[in-house]
Amino acid sequence: MIPLGIVALATLAANGSRQLRYSAVALLGVSLAANVLGVGQLSAPQVALEGCGALVACGILYVAARDNTFGEDPGWRLWLATIFAAVATAAIFASLRTATTESIAVSLVGDDPGGVTAQVAAFWLLASGLAILVTARSAVRGSLGALLMVTGVELLVRLVAAPQLALSVLLAWLEVVIALTGAFLIVNERAVREA
Amino acid sequence: MIVAAGPLVLAAAACVSFAFRKRLTLVGPFSLLAIAIAFVLVGLTAPDSTGSLLDLELRLGALGRLAALVMLATLFVLVLYVVAEEPAYNFFPTALAVGATALGVVTLTAALAICGVLVLGLLVPVGSFTFQVQRNRSVEAATRHFAFVALGGCMGIAALALAASLPKDQPATTFVLLAVILVIAFALLLAAIPFHTHAALLAGEVPTAALGLYFGVLVPATFVAFAEILTLSGLLPEIAQVVKVQDLLHGIGLVSALGGAFLASGAPDLRRLVVYSVISNLGASLVGIGTLSGPGIIGALAGVLVTGACATQQLLAAGTLERRAGAERPSAAHAPLAALAFVIGGFGMIGAPPLVGFPGRFFIELIAYQFSPTTGTVLVLATLLLLVGQLRAVILLFGTTPTTWKAEPRPVAGVIGAVIFAALLAGGLQPDGFLQPIASFAEEFLKAMRPL
Repeated sequence: MIPLGIVALATLAANGSRQLRYSAVALLGVSLAANVLGVGQLSAPQVALEGCGALVACGILYVAARDNTFGEDPGWRLWLATIFAAVATAAIFASLRTATTESIAVSLVGDDPGGVTAQVAAFWLLASGLAILVTARSAVRGSLGALLMVTGVELLVRLVAAPQLALSVLLAWLEVVIALTGAFLIVNERAVREA
Repeated sequence: MIVAAGPLVLAAAACVSFAFRKRLTLVGPFSLLAIAIAFVLVGLTAPDSTGSLLDLELRLGALGRLAALVMLATLFVLVLYVVAEEPAYNFFPTALAVGATALGVVTLTAALAICGVLVLGLLVPVGSFTFQVQRNRSVEAATRHFAFVALGGCMGIAALALAASLPKDQPATTFVLLAVILVIAFALLLAAIPFHTHAALLAGEVPTAALGLYFGVLVPATFVAFAEILTLSGLLPEIAQVVKVQDLLHGIGLVSALGGAFLASGAPDLRRLVVYSVISNLGASLVGIGTLSGPGIIGALAGVLVTGACATQQLLAAGTLERRAGAERPSAAHAPLAALAFVIGGFGMIGAPPLVGFPGRFFIELIAYQFSPTTGTVLVLATLLLLVGQLRAVILLFGTTPTTWKAEPRPVAGVIGAVIFAALLAGGLQPDGFLQPIASFAEEFLKAMRPL
């Protein structure tokens, strides 16, 4: 449960920040907590791969910001995204839960073999990312939303019986390419704004 | 391993060309060579060859091989055009990376991996969409494209992951919900109406070669991926049982087909005409897939592959015409061969006989009438509106007769147009070679719909 709480709080921090650099650091927190959630489901190389992907992606956004002041004020979008994510997470969990156990009791500290917390975190990240992406005015929040969604996707893919190493490589690359594309757009948007 | 050779060659070439991207005299011919090698490798691979990479099963089916050859040929002419007409250093690594992902899409056999690779491929062209950012809205267009792809891609992968991890004894509504999310995700990726705003903005603001890369290669790859993912995801039996998902496919398809054709008929310029025609044809193809019938699937896939080739032909011709016209309205007087290439590309786009686009459109409209007379009528109406749009372009280009006809000094777009037209004509005269691989995929699709 503790990593789930960290995921939720770090998502709020990334969403609420007016500075891209702080959002990037919070995003790294989201990814690390998400990796802790999936420790039992992945091998060490896979955790390392996805961790590296997240680190590189957050690093790219951090560098793209160029200074500590650059970013986008979320304004009302913060509240809209948070309320939407809370409602959507509950709704999706109720209708699409794929955990094998019927019991959804999870302890505050300890393992979660049913994958309940991983699924809740995944739905929360997907819903938050979706709301941020849909309401984004520029590539700053667009990149943030896209990276949150990819982190959620990584959590869901871990529950699938499939070649996990290949999928970890693919999703880590996807995270990096999203960050690179987002950073490219941020730099260009800034060039247009400063012209 | 030979199955993976084509995509791996292109991926490696993309990395190398990125390192040397500013040496245009080197990177252009290098990119052409890499695509030619990949084409030969795919051509030498027997249909249904298998292999594996990192435990992922690979298979180059008959449709995959055909689609790969068509997309690589399209990519080759695009790169050739950029080398000869409008050198842009960031185009070459982008084109090679797009080629690698397009081949990956048709080679992989895991739905999750196909969707992931497709999203990678759709994100890569953002680099070639933006140019002269202080003079146009290409950054805004690229940002919107980025948001749509990220949104659709993540929704699609998430829906597939959930579908793959669901216990089998779920209520039907759960699978229906996942199928609906998947359809909406691909509608976003395919720029189907009402999710077409980014495509409309791209049409007006980005270079024509980059548009050709998107509408000529990536859009057909996305549609083929959609059909393959439906086959592999295990959702097809539920989709076949529940009419609502079919209705959704038909609804999105019909709105796109008619809306795209309506917008094309009144398009203010040549690029928008092409882009809206592609959206209309994609809509018709979605209706074809939505019929869940052999002719519908064959028509849909054939239509999409032909549309990609025709869109490339028309976009390259439009680019040449715009460049030669400068501030004036483009007309045949500026570049008669490019204008001719644009017009004959329109024949393919509307599925006129005897070109290879005709059987696909005929199949879709025939099966649509059998499905429902309204659906069939709407598709025929969409074709008529496309015809009006293309005729308006002919009048725009050839309406005023110049005193003397002077062919452009380097008729690259004209020659490319002639080559694509000849290929479409040859395919139309001998359609079996083109339709047979698609028919074998349709058989797989129908088997997946009714598992034993």
